[in-house]
Amino acid sequence: MIKYIARRILQMIPVFIGVTIILFVLRSPGVVGGDPIRMITGERAISETLYNQLVERYGLDEPFYVQYATYLNDLVHGDLGQSYNKSRPVAEILWDKFPNTLRLALAAILIEMVFGIIAGIISAVKRYSFWDVLVTFSTSVLVSLPVFWLGMLLQILFGLKFKEWGLPYLPISGMSSERFPDIVHLIMPAITLASVSTAYAARIMRSQLLEVMGQDYMRTAAAKGLSHGMVIWNHGMKNAMIPVVTYFGLDFAAMMGGTVLTETVFNWPGIGYEIFLAIGQRDWPIVMGATIIIVFIVMAMNLIVDISYAFLDPRIRYGRQVA
Amino acid sequence: MAPLLEVDDLHMHFFTRDGVVKACDGVSFTLEAGRTLGVVGESGSGKSVTAMTVMRLIPEPPGKVVSGDIRFKGESILSMSEKDQRKLRGNRIAMIFQDPMTSLNPVFRIGQQIAEPLRLHKDMSRTEAWAAAVELLDRVGIPQAEERARNYPHEFSGGMRQRAMIAMALACGPDILIADEPTTALDVTIQAQILELMQEIQQRTESAIIMITHDLGVVADMADHIMVMYAGKAVEYGPADEVFYNPLHPYTWGLLESLPRHDVDDKGALCPIKGQPPSLINLPPGCAFSPRCAYAKPECDKKVPPLVEIDNGHLSACLFAGDIDFICQYENRVKRGEDSGGDV
Repeated sequence: MIKYIARRILQMIPVFIGVTIILFVLRSPGVVGGDPIRMITGERAISETLYNQLVERYGLDEPFYVQYATYLNDLVHGDLGQSYNKSRPVAEILWDKFPNTLRLALAAILIEMVFGIIAGIISAVKRYSFWDVLVTFSTSVLVSLPVFWLGMLLQILFGLKFKEWGLPYLPISGMSSERFPDIVHLIMPAITLASVSTAYAARIMRSQLLEVMGQDYMRTAAAKGLSHGMVIWNHGMKNAMIPVVTYFGLDFAAMMGGTVLTETVFNWPGIGYEIFLAIGQRDWPIVMGATIIIVFIVMAMNLIVDISYAFLDPRIRYGRQVA
Repeated sequence: MAPLLEVDDLHMHFFTRDGVVKACDGVSFTLEAGRTLGVVGESGSGKSVTAMTVMRLIPEPPGKVVSGDIRFKGESILSMSEKDQRKLRGNRIAMIFQDPMTSLNPVFRIGQQIAEPLRLHKDMSRTEAWAAAVELLDRVGIPQAEERARNYPHEFSGGMRQRAMIAMALACGPDILIADEPTTALDVTIQAQILELMQEIQQRTESAIIMITHDLGVVADMADHIMVMYAGKAVEYGPADEVFYNPLHPYTWGLLESLPRHDVDDKGALCPIKGQPPSLINLPPGCAFSPRCAYAKPECDKKVPPLVEIDNGHLSACLFAGDIDFICQYENRVKRGEDSGGDV
């Protein structure tokens, strides 16, 4: 097992090198428009001397490979560079934003687990019933809705219209205000972020449970005298949950990396929103730093999901041969 | 006293979009304590459906018991509440399935799965049930049972898995053990071991066995009675020796002739029954076997032949079973086979 984990961690190294090279190529002049020095200084006209000083300070005059080596060296030491605009270390900026993203991701994954699993179970157990049709139909609608559009619809209905009609309404942006407790601010962004994933989770849960319900061991369990509910709960769920857990793990990783669309629509000060702002301002160190952190989180989460398999499914044991 | 199990003119039909599938269409038999009934027939003849109906394991819908009754110690299982049925299932009547790999839950330890019916029916604690499970594994011939109980099904070989299935079925000391093709998925050498184990268990526990198989060879040693099924109906029923030595239905003749024989020197080609079993939705109007029957006469297609007693306790559903000349055709053929075998 330890050998397996070590091998997986070693496999991350080439991925990191690949990602950083791509980011570096994108940053080079002429690939994506915008002169970083102009971004730093803004509209002010500056003398050539100052311009050259800035180029030197950020190391932009060095050859490509030197810049790259310096960046990698800093990265290994936990230094993601300086933001062009904010004159603060990128690591510090991202570290500030990360708890906000984490809070949103936790709320969304909770919604996803509760509603996804329950809807999937009802749908599978009461197959072809009214409830099954309802779940199947609404999940089809949800997966095809663009997230930002759903977010805006929610804002219009529960934020603006409800206020207009004199009903209790929800805040449409930000994560805190004097008028609402913080948790209320979380409601709409979390629902928006969870929407598509909840629909997928419900579908996976349904199809898995249906497949498991047709297995011979379910008949064996019934032949022991267990009731229908106990057969599904005791014998079916543990088998059916394996792919669902995988999905939650990978989805949670994606959410923790910040979700650009949801965070932007709701002005949620997380990593995704920060990336969105940084791209607009050509603040390359932030874009690069955030991307690298997202890559790291996704890879770490993948590893955790793979390891958790071994606990859920006894047939999978890493690092040793099973006869 | 009422017999242990009585199945009385049981009709289990499936109502599907394509029509009504008469999977079990008027089956009757009785089973006494400590006895073995062999149920023999091809795939789709209704053997498993009959057994599953006794266990009440067929989902309704699409299945439905149209008529007939199943009585356990004189009490109708069909009119019991679902809760009372569950008290019988796995407790008084237990079942062993065909493929032990897929019939065991892959994510639970063998010991847990054997302990489950004990916890359910005997109110045992977790530790008591586990200890009992280890003992059961030992009894069905699993070495190092204590360690093996902690294994998962994929860590067992095919034969060991079937032993574990048997241990699971035996857990509550059932009155009836239904074995649905228990050896079909196993190697031939393991098959013999499993059959031996079942016989040994029967001698010790006095439980009755219903052995379902498509292989007459499997029930030859074990069964006291044999019921031959074809297209959802019993076509022949009688004491095992009678069915083997004086078979009274052309379908049984076909089954016997398609068995490899070791008592004849002439190892010629086997003699299979030609054609396929009929669709259970559109059965032929007369005898369901007549289209494949080498001895069929025009009368066979006119009406469905009833299962009638020909000899003492020996029943056949062939119109001509009582006709000595008709029956002799088979006996002459067998004799000819033996004679020609002797000449070589």
